[in-house]
Amino acid sequence: MGFWDKLVNLLGFKKREVNILVVGLNNSGKSTVINHFKPEEDKSTEIVPTVGFNVEKFRNQNVGFTAFDMSGHGRYRDLWEHYYKDCQGVIFVIDSSDRLRLVVVREELDLLLQHPDISGRRFPILFFANKMDVRDALSSVKIAAGLGLERILDKPWHICASNALTGDGLQEGVEWLTQQVREMVNNRS
Amino acid sequence: MNAFKRDKKEEEEGGGNPFQNIEKTTVLQEARTFNDTPVNPRKCTHILTKILYLLNQGEQLGTTEATEAFFAMTKLFQSRDVILRRMVYLGIKELSGIAEDVIIVTSSLTKDMTGKEDLYRAAAIRALCSITDVTMLQAIERYMKQAIVDRNCAVSSAALVSSLHLTKIAGDVVKRWVNEAQEAVNSDSVMVQYHALGVLYHIRKSDRLAVNKLVAKLTRMSLKSPYAVCMLIRIACKLLEEEDSAEGGSSDSPLFEFIESCLRHKSEMVIYEAARAIVNLRRTTSRELAPAVSVLQLFCSSPKPTLRFAAVRTLNKVAMSHPAAVTACNLDLENLITDSNRSIATLTITTLLKTGAESSVDRLMKQIATFVSEISDEFKIVVVQAIRALCLKFPRKHGVLMNFLSAMLRDEGGLEYKASIADTIITIIEENPEAKETGLAHLCEFIEDCEHTSLAVRILHLLGKEGPRTKQPSRYIRFIYNRVILENAPVRAAAVAAMAQFGATCPDLLPNIQVVLLARCQMDTDDEVRDRATYYCSILEKQDKALANRYIVEGLQVWIPSLEKSLHQYTINPSDVPFDMKSVPLASIPSPEEIVNTSGKAVSREESYAEKLQSVPELVAFGPLFRSSEPVELTESETEYVVRCIKHCFPQHLILQFDCLNTLNDQLLENVHVQVEPPDGYQLVREIPCPRLPYSELGTTYVVLQFPDELGATVGTFNATLKFLVKDCDPATGLPDSDEGYDDEYMLEDVEVTLGDQIQKVTKANFGAAWEEAAASHCELEDTYSLSNMGTLEEAVKNIVSFLGMQPAERSDRVPEGKSSHTLFLAGVYRGGYDILVRAKLALAEGVTMQLTVRSTNADVAELVTSAVG
Repeated sequence: MGFWDKLVNLLGFKKREVNILVVGLNNSGKSTVINHFKPEEDKSTEIVPTVGFNVEKFRNQNVGFTAFDMSGHGRYRDLWEHYYKDCQGVIFVIDSSDRLRLVVVREELDLLLQHPDISGRRFPILFFANKMDVRDALSSVKIAAGLGLERILDKPWHICASNALTGDGLQEGVEWLTQQVREMVNNRS
Repeated sequence: MNAFKRDKKEEEEGGGNPFQNIEKTTVLQEARTFNDTPVNPRKCTHILTKILYLLNQGEQLGTTEATEAFFAMTKLFQSRDVILRRMVYLGIKELSGIAEDVIIVTSSLTKDMTGKEDLYRAAAIRALCSITDVTMLQAIERYMKQAIVDRNCAVSSAALVSSLHLTKIAGDVVKRWVNEAQEAVNSDSVMVQYHALGVLYHIRKSDRLAVNKLVAKLTRMSLKSPYAVCMLIRIACKLLEEEDSAEGGSSDSPLFEFIESCLRHKSEMVIYEAARAIVNLRRTTSRELAPAVSVLQLFCSSPKPTLRFAAVRTLNKVAMSHPAAVTACNLDLENLITDSNRSIATLTITTLLKTGAESSVDRLMKQIATFVSEISDEFKIVVVQAIRALCLKFPRKHGVLMNFLSAMLRDEGGLEYKASIADTIITIIEENPEAKETGLAHLCEFIEDCEHTSLAVRILHLLGKEGPRTKQPSRYIRFIYNRVILENAPVRAAAVAAMAQFGATCPDLLPNIQVVLLARCQMDTDDEVRDRATYYCSILEKQDKALANRYIVEGLQVWIPSLEKSLHQYTINPSDVPFDMKSVPLASIPSPEEIVNTSGKAVSREESYAEKLQSVPELVAFGPLFRSSEPVELTESETEYVVRCIKHCFPQHLILQFDCLNTLNDQLLENVHVQVEPPDGYQLVREIPCPRLPYSELGTTYVVLQFPDELGATVGTFNATLKFLVKDCDPATGLPDSDEGYDDEYMLEDVEVTLGDQIQKVTKANFGAAWEEAAASHCELEDTYSLSNMGTLEEAVKNIVSFLGMQPAERSDRVPEGKSSHTLFLAGVYRGGYDILVRAKLALAEGVTMQLTVRSTNADVAELVTSAVG
């Protein structure tokens, strides 16, 4: 890499583009989370269950995110793996009011982490404990414990409680993610 | 300037195809670029183009390959490049049939389809509908309905056409969109209206009443789109045809009025469509035809070549059914003979040939000869067919036409073209005895220089059949023997067989053929040729006329595939008994219509029935199937239950196969069987009922009878009654309401077992010889009848042939015109393998008088035939 590029990088001028994967069980709020990040004029007024996937783009602090918003429906979860290879970050959305399916979430997470395209690589994973406004929602700490997040040693991860309808907590999470991405890119260059 | 540059560049590259040398594996390798971030739109578009090119060239992708490429392609959705996105849609459509999990792009496509970018929407709809299956359709139904009534006409059209495609996989869902389609019919856009009508018609096409209503409504409202009007005309025609077949038809139907009014439409397309429709209607009378023909006549002088072509082509078709109506256009057609467009000129001439008088034939033939070498094979075939029709119409002109055909034969041309000429000459030879010698001479000349093995073999076979019976058989020998020296093995073998025919039929040529020619062929390098030569030589050496007749002139009478099967069976289970040829089913002689219809099918009727009967375990034991009759309807065609009967004749047994159809959707029939009351002598062996007969499924029940010992009693009628157990059921599900049912019966028409059912047709090429031979070995019966209800000899011949179910030999079923007497030769085999030969001398005098002579190997059979005729 040339001197000029290095300089640009150092000063943080260069636009960084990263692909992130948004996964989670169905009805956990993935599309709603992404919808929140989109610029005002692109926002869709109603969110319907995703079939397959959607590609959305948004920016945060000079980093361009291309989000692959995957369908969480049981039938399509097998298709996530097609997109593992070229992602530089994962957003994992969990419905914190759905205690019953927490085990399913854990299983899906384990599958994800054990996948050959994921396991050896280092990239940030952001967990959203979504729907925190629901009355008997679990706290983010309990969810972290329930999913055994402490076992993830080789990747930076962060969990934050969120409410995608109002947008509470989303900004905090994505700022962490941006920070991580930036560090990662700087380390690599 | 720019264009000029590009031209020059292309010239340098030799104008070659840039995709000529691409390979599947390399392209799929390149497709991995799709996974790169950020996406390079130019590069990806190029690779996608390559993939599409390969697929359209017929390259097959495996499921894994396709799936991998497909998922790589889905990543291109992150690019906002318009061109790339549209290529992705195309790629999705192409791969949707091969790759797995294609529904992954559903949401992405739905987003594009409802998005703001108009360029994406129509294409996204098409791609979406190609990946959608029945289960997913519910999810996008709402968007489809919106798209159908969208203001953008490209979107609306795309949605309508996609719905049309979806009717194939999910007709019920599409039916719910009828209101939207109805609204789209009122659209201002020409295409949307047309497509909407298509969808509406498809949704309703199974319901005649609804289609009638639709047409009635639309004919009143005067559609804007000419395409839609054309479609409406076609639908109206279909309705008219159905009406006609149902109830005679009336000429002042509103539908017909509508079609006729379209002749005055302002769009040429509609006018032509209307004219074509009227011409093609089966029941059109010449009065109704007149306005249509005059419209076509106008088109003939149109400056647009397409219109002229269309008009002439349609007139060409009309000329077959209503030559008189086209005669009015002859003047306009004459002008088109010299049209600069060869296709138009050719069609014109063939049309004129059909309508013209005998006197104009020479002139037209001369005209067409000037440019026949310039037109394509396809049109040459049209010309040949016109000439064939002409030959049959004006037999006296065969000289001119035959010369023309032989000139065409000598020209360059493909197999199909040459075959059609040879066919025509063969037909002429068959129809017109005067043309035989010249025709054969032309064919002989043709095979001297014929590159098509199949044609040469066919002509040699024909020479073998016809040549010996001409005045000078010896002249053909040279042509045939030349083939033995010059050609490839199949032709040589055919030539040997043809020579043997001459040897067997012409005693004065025998020494030459046998000693010199066939003896030489025994040294041939090819096995088949040597085998044939040896076989024929040894037969001819015996000097036994009967033997030669049987094994050379007549050939094999059995159905070859069955013979092969029987021999195979015999070699599997060896026994001490020698193989019996009689156990092999005889080849049935297909009627001319059947030959036309079933040219592709290699199974005879008996063969297919035999296989079906073999599959019923109870029916295996009755020996080989001898003959199956044509299906006979035992009910009116539109009753509650439709029953057809097929009579299968076995050596000692008769199996009646009843194909039953239940047309009541609220009934389930069980234990369906047919009770027959056989006449005396027949023994009922068993009945095989059909256990379940649900709505609109074909069920089969069998009745097995043993023939009476006395042959005279085998002909008779059976009373038949359909008996069954009825269970009422729900029309929607087909499940019975309760387990209880009640017995019911239904009277059928009588089943008639005739003599013809028990006789299989046999061709005898040389009936005279066989007849003489039979004089000694067969017993003979003779009787005279008066057929008072027959008016003409043709009628009598036709009736006798169909009654006896035997094959006319030596084309004796054709009565020459203007004769008052005729001799008919028939040959057949009675069940059990008894040969029958019949000679019927007919004379016309107050009805027809017939002297019938029957020769058969079995006296009882002969008696049966004579008694049955009376």
